[in-house]
Amino acid sequence: MTKIGLEIHCQLTNLESKLFCSCKANYREFEPNENICPVCAGMPGSLPRLNQEAVKKATMISMALNCSTPEKIAFFRKNYFYPDLPKNFQITQLNIYGDTSVGGSGTISVGDKKIRITRIQLEEDPGRLIYEGSSSKNQITLVDYNRAGTPLVEIVTEPDFETPKEVRDFLNILSDLLKNLGVADPSLEGAMRADANVSTRGGNKVEIKNIGSFHDLEKAAHFEITRQESLHDRDIPIAQETRHWDDRRKITVSSRSKEEDLDYRYFLEGDIPWVKINPEIKTELKSKMPESISSKKERYVTKYQIPEQVADVLSSDKFYSDLFEESHSESNAKEVANIITTELMGLEDTREKREASKLTAPHLKDLADAIQTGKVSRNSSKNALHEILKTGKSVSQIISELDLGNVSDESELLKIIDQVISNESEAVEQAKSNPQTINYLVGKVMQATKGKADPTSTLNLLKKQIGI
Amino acid sequence: MVTVEEIEHVSKLMKIDVDDHSEYLEKVQTMISYFDILDSAGVESEEISMPEIPIEQLRNDEYIPFNEKLIEKMNHYKGTYVRAPKM
Amino acid sequence: MNLKISALKFIEEVKTGNITVEEFTAKTIDRINQVDDKLHAFLSVNNNAIDQARNIDKKIKSGENVGVCYGMPISIKDNMCIKDTKTTCASKMLENFVAPYDATVISKLKKQDAIFIGKVNMDEFAMGLTTEFSAFGPSKNPWNIEHVPGGSSGGSAVSVSSYECIASLGSDTGGSVRNPASFCSTVGYKPTYGLISRFGLISYANSIEQIGPLTRTVKDTAFMLNIIAGVDPNDNTTLNNNNEDYLENIDSGIEGKKIGIITEMIGDGIDPEVMTATKEAISKLEGLGAICEEVSLEMVKYSVAAYYTITATEAGSNLARYDNLRYGYEMPVEGYEFNSYISKARKNFGPEVTRRMIIGGFVPSAGHAGKYFLKAMKVKSKLTKEINEAFKKFDLLIAPTVPILPFKIGEKIDDPVSLFLVDINTVTANLTGKPAISIPFKIVNGLPIGIQLMANSMNDKMLLQAAHALEKTVTLPEIPI
Repeated sequence: MTKIGLEIHCQLTNLESKLFCSCKANYREFEPNENICPVCAGMPGSLPRLNQEAVKKATMISMALNCSTPEKIAFFRKNYFYPDLPKNFQITQLNIYGDTSVGGSGTISVGDKKIRITRIQLEEDPGRLIYEGSSSKNQITLVDYNRAGTPLVEIVTEPDFETPKEVRDFLNILSDLLKNLGVADPSLEGAMRADANVSTRGGNKVEIKNIGSFHDLEKAAHFEITRQESLHDRDIPIAQETRHWDDRRKITVSSRSKEEDLDYRYFLEGDIPWVKINPEIKTELKSKMPESISSKKERYVTKYQIPEQVADVLSSDKFYSDLFEESHSESNAKEVANIITTELMGLEDTREKREASKLTAPHLKDLADAIQTGKVSRNSSKNALHEILKTGKSVSQIISELDLGNVSDESELLKIIDQVISNESEAVEQAKSNPQTINYLVGKVMQATKGKADPTSTLNLLKKQIGI
Repeated sequence: MVTVEEIEHVSKLMKIDVDDHSEYLEKVQTMISYFDILDSAGVESEEISMPEIPIEQLRNDEYIPFNEKLIEKMNHYKGTYVRAPKM
Repeated sequence: MNLKISALKFIEEVKTGNITVEEFTAKTIDRINQVDDKLHAFLSVNNNAIDQARNIDKKIKSGENVGVCYGMPISIKDNMCIKDTKTTCASKMLENFVAPYDATVISKLKKQDAIFIGKVNMDEFAMGLTTEFSAFGPSKNPWNIEHVPGGSSGGSAVSVSSYECIASLGSDTGGSVRNPASFCSTVGYKPTYGLISRFGLISYANSIEQIGPLTRTVKDTAFMLNIIAGVDPNDNTTLNNNNEDYLENIDSGIEGKKIGIITEMIGDGIDPEVMTATKEAISKLEGLGAICEEVSLEMVKYSVAAYYTITATEAGSNLARYDNLRYGYEMPVEGYEFNSYISKARKNFGPEVTRRMIIGGFVPSAGHAGKYFLKAMKVKSKLTKEINEAFKKFDLLIAPTVPILPFKIGEKIDDPVSLFLVDINTVTANLTGKPAISIPFKIVNGLPIGIQLMANSMNDKMLLQAAHALEKTVTLPEIPI
């Protein structure tokens, strides 16, 4: 029986400042050591100043994951030496004196399965190490503290996962959830990291660290399970240990364990009092929380009769569900959802394309209305969408400029149909005997109208003219 | 009782090279034996108390850059990094 | 020119034009040059002091706004950061450390035109009771230079009592302001925990330490408190004192106040001279209308063990950042691997600090935390409960600051537990966060004895009123230097 548990670290990059000082939370745009101050660089005499919004966001995450949230939270010191740790201790959370971390036990659904969350804690990210020099003799380590002190939320799960795929699905759901909450941007490099622990057939638990991405996590879990299974098959016991993921060789490797380093001498952080989060604040946070993905999905399905598949895709994506909210009306909701999921998402498939796009909510609304009222055919609407993204011109402007207007005038359509019928006498005969082949003729009409004819009207008129 | 091995272990944990661990043994042992007095304090059932602060009094989430180039005031390498020994 | 004046008197003299700041500062520097070779209070002296004094005189003459300190010379214990100034904590580990920012107390005093005349000596990283553990040599008690001045804020007490400056800021973790104040016959104050910001104070035991002034009079301490106390956004543990004015009504006296005499602090081991002095202080207080009665705080017996366990643990963590990578002293990283480098670099800690770090690694470690560290935390809780109970009945608590007279240099340096117990009357205030003050009371055989008063949390104002009342009954001989 395979058991996998996760420890996910998520940076709260949507915050303005770090967890314990006013340097920028999102360090990515800075030159090395340009985003530091005496506090996050661990200068003598500096003291931590806890970020109120970080506590609130972490509490919101806990509520979104159905976790209990205590009345008072406390911070602890985890003491160890490492060059990326400016104070040579990390300020983090623990539950030694009762439940004092920001989130207690909770659950999250992955498909039919419920994954149990053990706890959620708020802590600071260390700095980054860069290695210069090639040979191990010449190598020097360089430290950049820009990232030190960035707020992290650590989400620990019970070993409820049974397959690497479940892990992957969970991570996607979690990413979407966190993005939807507006607390983090999982697409930023390094913003979400995870460690795993794996045990098989009731054997010892093996921790796997140093996993760079979620994709690697699935691979690492897969490799580790295989490794353990083969040991089981040879009756070799699994050592309880920490291994790290070697991305180059795509294997897990036993980490050199240092006995001395494993004693963290945890104790309360005396520079930060216990923080009281009273029930009124929690109620306020809950009311400010954006609608959850599952709630959105249900609303799309029940209120707008949007097909489940479409609702699924739309609700999971914060950017597009926000766009949907802005651009739909009672009457065109289904159409807007359709345009977004079948066309728009494909056209704006990268962050750069999305940012460069000139499409706005009113465009989408107008386009959906135009399709519904027959002003433009669904076919032509694809061209229109292209143009909107590129130029930002209004829907009506584009329809006239590109001459995408629907040939919906019946007399005009009839003229073209009659023309096609006279040109395609053979096909007409075929259609009389085999009605399915009428699509060929429909195609010909579409060709003649440059796709502007409405397919449904065309079919009906053709049938009438042919007499089937 | 504190042994020389324990002093060796702890000085490794605290990352301090000690030339002669037995030199520290006597004094450390004396100090720690003195702490045994805590056993007779009868405090097993006491709760740990801590000062509290309401969440409203915590710092506002604002980006305020430090007004100086701090890296230049620390031991630095090429003016941009702090240099550490090889790992 | 008389250097032997209080801060308030100095300010008055400057305001009325009887003295200039420049004259006084120059005389102060002369005094330092005259006596500090013998006393070794100072680790560094401010070379710009006279220029700064001149500027203040200019401001005064031109009618510009001048800060309330009027150029008063203050010495600062060398564990507080003054921007662009060496801050060594009397340790070779920080030999070359130049602080990149001002501690909050320093900014506040700077704004009020104080002059920082120099950084003064201390036990290395504030770990000690005698200033004998300074890496740069001990300070001497100006009353008798063969005796210790107390510690860890020894340099602070020496500089004030020997007229090398008007006031000083020290830090008090287990008595480190009150103990040297008592040994050198000055006023020494430890405020309610959280009253004064620790931002810029190099941490030793952050959950219990406070910065405190050492001055010649209680009123001077109240004056300093008015400047440096108050909530600080840079320190999450500071409390709001609603801009309390500690000088206001400081003369209101002690009539009707109930004072508890802590039994455990006048027990065995107390020097007979100290006991006599304590009894005298009690009768003086009764003479002023106070009601004195004995009270027992059982946990005092365990307070020293709890104190050293907790402080060693916190120190072990607070001093972990001294890995010599970003700041410290000159030691290149070439040829070393990470662990070997920092372990070697940290050999520059003195033997007492090393001992405390070893203990600090031991008592909270996985196998021992339950027996030592957690028990110590529980003793702290119970002691706090006991003292809170006592304050339901009493307004103030009294005891001698140190149960013994200042001893000779070298006398206790090899006997750690005997040295620990010098703290027995002072650590309670730190463990419980209560304000406490040491008032110079008597000189016996040429050696000073101080009396300590404690009040409940945030009752600093009342504590100063009581201290001032007692102080008024005391006349002391001149210091022989």
